[in-house]
This record gives sequence, structure tokens and C-alpha cells, in this order.
Amino acid sequence: MLPPSTATRLERGPIPARAGIGLRFPHHRVVAETRPDVAWLEVHTENYLGGGATPAWLDAIRRDYPISCHGVGLSLGTAEGLDRDHLARIGRAVERFAPALVSEHLSWSVAGGQYLADLLPLPLTEEALAVVCRNVDETQEFLRRRILIENPSSYLRYRHSVIPEWEFLAAVAARTGCGILCDVNNIYVSAQNHGWDASAYLAALPPAAIGEIHLAGHAVRRLDDGSVLRIDDHGSRVAPAVWMLYAEALDRFGPVPTLIEWDTDIPPLATLLDEVRSAQALLDRCGRKAGHADAA
Amino acid sequence: MLTLHELQRDVARALIARDDAAAVMHVAADGLAPAARLAVYRNTVVAGLTTALRLSYPAVHRLVGAAFFESAAQLFLTAQPPRGACLDDYAPGFADFLAGFAPAAAIPYLAGVARLDWAVNRALHAPDADGLDPASLAAIATAGEPRLRFVPHPSVGLVRAEHPVDAIWRAVLAQDDAAMAAIELDAGPVFLLVRRAANGPAVTRLTPAAWQFTVSLCDGRTLQDAIATAGEVDAAAMLAEHLINGVFTAFAFDEGGGWQPMETLR
Repeated sequence: MLPPSTATRLERGPIPARAGIGLRFPHHRVVAETRPDVAWLEVHTENYLGGGATPAWLDAIRRDYPISCHGVGLSLGTAEGLDRDHLARIGRAVERFAPALVSEHLSWSVAGGQYLADLLPLPLTEEALAVVCRNVDETQEFLRRRILIENPSSYLRYRHSVIPEWEFLAAVAARTGCGILCDVNNIYVSAQNHGWDASAYLAALPPAAIGEIHLAGHAVRRLDDGSVLRIDDHGSRVAPAVWMLYAEALDRFGPVPTLIEWDTDIPPLATLLDEVRSAQALLDRCGRKAGHADAA
Repeated sequence: MLTLHELQRDVARALIARDDAAAVMHVAADGLAPAARLAVYRNTVVAGLTTALRLSYPAVHRLVGAAFFESAAQLFLTAQPPRGACLDDYAPGFADFLAGFAPAAAIPYLAGVARLDWAVNRALHAPDADGLDPASLAAIATAGEPRLRFVPHPSVGLVRAEHPVDAIWRAVLAQDDAAMAAIELDAGPVFLLVRRAANGPAVTRLTPAAWQFTVSLCDGRTLQDAIATAGEVDAAAMLAEHLINGVFTAFAFDEGGGWQPMETLR
């Protein structure tokens, strides 16, 4: 459990409850040179761990935008314990870029010292819950700050899983004091793939723990046997059904910093800014509703 | 009861070694075969690691083409998956793998180009460090040079290849067919210094003696030893050039045995 003093510590340049974009390499230059109208930016931490030109772009860009560092390689669900060298490198990046938010995933990617380069699903058992909580505790203590944990998209379920994913995620937040990065597209993809009720998933998450929302496009893959699997490829615009689920999430959580992610076939920045405007419109509507509720 | 550790071991074997036998037992079918579900993840892992290799070995990728590269990468990543989550570091072993990869034997310079690709990749992502201030050369000149030792910049790499891999590397990355056609493959070995310059990677040809001299200095040997191992080299000129180019970040005087690197003299 994170001590309250560090959990509530104010970070530099907080992320506003507005729409931001995931910053990817093809957009470094255009963002640095044109300073587009977007409230904040998020990067994949693992892409900025070395020296040279790549982190130098981020040094320049972060002068004008609040930054979030979103990790993909810490493997919080790994049974063999965290890679302390990797955690130390994350720590140095967090020191260098002073992000307003630091986040990781409810998944694993390291086994036997091998890095499997994907966000793999966990069996949802009491043992896995204890492992994740231990690793989240270790991370928060090392970084001396609260992190957010993102719900994954998944394409399989283990036979011995006994805890619903939404309860597992809420339990991690309750036990470690971490926040939740609610990926609305992932909830939709997993709900469709596993026959879950996406609205019930949202309703089971503790609103006070939600620190950020992710939105992205996904692909619909028709398999040889005729069945359909939704794949979280971040390669298109946000699907209409995901926008609807996002509106539902905002009704429940209130305005939350919201990120547009795009990682496959990355389009021109203008397309991302277009998606940002769509998200912002829903955030604005949500803010007005909250205002009315306060007045009443 | 299956432990998390056992499950992760079995899934890793399914994704990396392509042996599903244990993992399929743990996965619920739910209308789609467990093997097909695992294959979705395997495809992502293989595609992700192949992309990481392509970014680290761009000239090799251009030389052999996408299809050949992907099949070589698949074999390689099964044998040598990454040991850490920073894929800029993946994978130092690919050049040696290509050197022993029979289907690549028709391209005798491929492993050499791979070594240069890797040195350039290392140079691009190495930690930042300030080079020695060239002004400190004056201090060095008055302070018993023979016992000097240097610390190389983390981006510095030294590559020796039997073929003119620097010319090949430039030509394929520029997609310059005329330059590629003009390369004399049997012109003899090349001796290269790779480092990160202000505007990107710098690949410089050295004479065999200057290269040996630089290797010795980068290995932490004294200036006196480096000169002795190199033979015909204008050590003062080479050292000056290295200092101007930020090849070294610190120096120290050998006091017979132990030595302590000093920070830059400014």
C-alpha cells in the first residue's frame, strides 16, 4: 500500500480533464514545430529510455505540454518479480521528463527472463492478484508516486480464472492505492470477445480511482470458422459503439483526461486532432451536465 | 493447482518456441480453439520483434528484402528472444546469427553490414554524455601523456569488416543503385569508427593502424600501450581528432595499477 503522503503528492503540470493524443515518432517534428492545439500528450515510456535525438524531442515538446508516461514493458503481472534494471530505467525517464501521470498495464510480458513484447492476459486468480499488488507496490515505492493501471484487451480467457476482470482491477486499486486508466476501447473489445456486459464493467469500477481514459480504433477480424474476433490494433478511428460507451463512462466518472491512441498505419496529425475534437465535445457536454447538477 | 509461474512458462513456450501443447490446456475454448487464440498473441509478438529487428538492422532489411528478413527474424527470435523490455537494445546477436545462417551465404558481406547496422543503432540510442572539452588537450599535453587512459563515449563503436560495408550501408539506405554497382567488393577490409554526431550517426573509415590505436584506447589501455600496439600512426593527430569529435568523455593518469577517471577539465 502506498503511503498517503506520496499518493496525494502534487505532480508538476497536472493533466487537465481534456482530450490529448498519444505522441508517436512520425509526429515529433510537426508537434515541436507547429505546437498544435491539444491539451496534453502521452508517450510510450520504453521508447525514451536511451539518449540521443528521440528523448531530445520530448525534452523540447514537454516545455509546452503536460506529459504522461505510459509504460508497456514493466510486466506488472509477472510471477518472477519485476526486472529491477528496467524499473530503474523507467525511474530515470520519469526524473528526466517529469510526467504528470505514469501508467502501466494489468498484464504480463516477462517469463524466464524473456520479454514477450505483448500485453499478455493474466489468469484472474487470488495468486495473480497478490502478484500484481506486490509488483504495483514495488513500482510505486520505487518511483515514489502513484501510478495508473490500464485494463487490457484480450483474446483468450484461462480456464482457472475465478475473478471477473472488473473486480480484479478494482481490488488492485483498493489494495495498492493505484489509480485506474480506463481504456474504453479495451472494455468494448474484451466484452465483445468474451460476451461480457461492457456497461456492467464500467459500473463496477470505482469512479474516484479513474485517473485517465484511453480511446482507440480496433479491427474486426473474421476467422476461418466464421467467428469474429475484435483486435485492439489502434489502427483506425474510434468505433461508433466505443464513442457511445465513452459517453457512458463520462456520465459515470465525470470529466477525465482522455487520450486518443493510434499505433498502426499512423495517420497525419490532423486526423488525430479531429478525433481529439470529438472526444472534447463529449467532455464539454459532460462538464456542462456536471455544472447543472452542482447548480441543482 | 497451476501456479502463475507455471502458466507463464507454458504461454512463453507457446509464443516463442511455438510449442502449444501445455498452454492450450489452460485456455478456455469459448467457441474458438485455444490454439487459434494463442496464435493471435504469437502473431503480435513475432510482428513486434520483427519490427524491432528491422529498425535495428535497416540496411540488412533492404539488402535481403522483407520476405527473407521476416523468415530469418522468426528463426532468430525463437533462439534469442529479448532479455529486456527496451527494444532499442534488440538484438546484438543478430549479426552472428546471420554469419551462420546458410540461406544468407550467397551474400558474403551481409554479416558485416549487420555489424555496422548494430553499431549505428547503438550509437543512436546510447546514453547521453558530454565529450571531453578539446581545451583539456592543453592540460593533457603538459601532464605526462604516456600514462593517459581514456573513457570512450557510450555511442562509440569500432567495426572491422572484410568488405566495404560502409559503402554498401550508405548505398542501400540511400537506395542508390549506381553507387551500389560501383562498389568493389574485393577491395579489402575496412576499419570503421561509429559514433553519434550532432546531426545523426557518423561512420568514419580509419587506417588499420589508427583503428587499432583507437580500439586500444577505448579498451582503457594507456596512450603508451595504444601507440605500441598500433604501429604506424600519427597518435597526436588521431587523438586530437577524437577529442574534437567527442569520442572520449573522461581521462585519467595511470598511477601503476589502479586508476581513477577524472571528469572533464573545464
